[in-house]
Amino acid sequence: MKSLIRRNFDKQPIANYPDYKSSSLRAPKNKKIYIPSSISEISGPKFNKNIIGKLDNDLTLNYSHNNKVPIGQKIIVHGKIVDQYYKPIEGALIEIWQANASGKYLHPNDQNDVPIDPNFCGSGRYITSSNGYYEFRTIQPGAYPYPNRGIEWRPMHIHFSIFGKSFGQRLITQMYFQGDPLIKLCPMINSIPNKKAKKSLIGSLDLSLSETDKLLAYKFDIILRGYNQTFFENRKEGL
Amino acid sequence: MKHSDNFFDETPFQTAGPFLHIGCSPNLIGINNIFKNDLGVFPFEKEKHSNIISISGSVFDGNSEALNDVMIETWQCNDKGEYLDGQGFARFVPNEETKKFTLKTIKPGAVIGLDGKFQSPHILMSISSRGINMNLNTRIYFEDDDLSNDTTLSIINQKDKINTLIAKKIDKFNYIFDVYLQGNKETVFLDI
Ligand SMILES: [Fe+2]
Repeated sequence: MKSLIRRNFDKQPIANYPDYKSSSLRAPKNKKIYIPSSISEISGPKFNKNIIGKLDNDLTLNYSHNNKVPIGQKIIVHGKIVDQYYKPIEGALIEIWQANASGKYLHPNDQNDVPIDPNFCGSGRYITSSNGYYEFRTIQPGAYPYPNRGIEWRPMHIHFSIFGKSFGQRLITQMYFQGDPLIKLCPMINSIPNKKAKKSLIGSLDLSLSETDKLLAYKFDIILRGYNQTFFENRKEGL
Repeated sequence: MKHSDNFFDETPFQTAGPFLHIGCSPNLIGINNIFKNDLGVFPFEKEKHSNIISISGSVFDGNSEALNDVMIETWQCNDKGEYLDGQGFARFVPNEETKKFTLKTIKPGAVIGLDGKFQSPHILMSISSRGINMNLNTRIYFEDDDLSNDTTLSIINQKDKINTLIAKKIDKFNYIFDVYLQGNKETVFLDI
C-alpha cells in the first residue's frame, strides 16, 4: 500500500516558540505519535473545478463595486503545486487570504486603525489543472502591527491553504515578499529552525511574464508531501 | 528516503492566524458576495441520510480556556467504510459565544485496508489557528464501538492517552469530543 513520505520536522516550525507569544498556550507539550499511512490519510476531499468562479483568483476584481478597483499596487502571484519529486499536482485547491494595501483585513476582529478598502476583500481561490500551475491577481498587501512582545510588525504576506490529493498532504502556510526587511524580524518565520526552509517561503520577484510591463509578479512554488513508492504501487489509485 | 537533486522538502507550515475565515469561510463573517458557498458546510448530502449524529465539543488551551478562533476540518468515510469523492469533508469553527463546535455527520463505518489492517470507525481531525504553527492532527473514535483491534490505537497503546481520542456517547445520536491542547488531559496528536 502506498504511504506518505514521513515528515521532516527539522524543516518545520517549532510548535512552542517563545518569541511568538500565542504559541505558548496552544502548543501541545507531548511529542506527536507517528502512525503509518492508512487509507484514511492517503485519501482526501476532492473539490470539483466547477465550484470556482471566473473571478475567484482575481482579487482585484472579485469584490469590486460599481466597476471600481481596489487601491494599491496590482501584482501577480503565481507558481506550481508539486509533490516532493516536483511532480505537478492536478486538482489541488488553493485558498488565499490577505490584508489590503494599508495592512487591514476585512475581518470583524482586525482592530488596526487603518481603512478597509470597499473594493477589496482579500479572499481568493483556485483549483490547479494538470500542470499544477496557479495564478492570482491581487494587491500588494501592507505590513501591519500586532501585539506580541509589545507591538511588532508582520512582514507583507499572503496566507495560503492547500489541499492536494490526500488529507495527509494538507498544508497551511504564508508567502512573504523578496526584499522585505521585516522578514528577518518575524518570530513566526523564525520559528522555522532551518535557513533554507525559511527562505522557501519567500516569493521571488519574477519579471519573466509578458505582462510585467504592467504589473509586478512574484513566483511561489509549493511542495506537498510525496508518496513512498512500494511494490504495490500499480494497484488502483486511492487504494 | 534519500535526499537527492530530484527530491525536495515539503514547504514549511505557518500559522493560519486569526483571520483565516476570510479565505476559508468568508460567508461566515459576512463576506457574502464572492463565493456562493463556504466549503465543507455539510460532509454528506443531508437528504440521503436519516442517521445523522452530532459531535460537539470545545478546544481548550493551556489555561483551560475554550477557544473560538480555531478552525477544525474533518475527513471521514461513509457508513460502509468507503472514502468517496466529493463527500466526507467538513470545515467548521466554534460558536463565538458558547465556544462549542458541532459536527453533524453520519457515523463512519469500520475500514479494512488492502493490507488487511483493521480500523475501528474514526474521523480524521485537523486543527488550525493563531498560535498553532503547524496544523494539529488527531482522530475521533466512538465510545460504543469495539476499539480492541484498531491499528492506530494499538500503536498509542496507553489507556489514558487512547481515551483522549474517544468521543463520549450522550445518547443514540449525540457525542461529546473535547480537545485539550495542553495539560494533564492533553489530546494525543498524530504525526500522520
Ligand atoms: Fe496575516
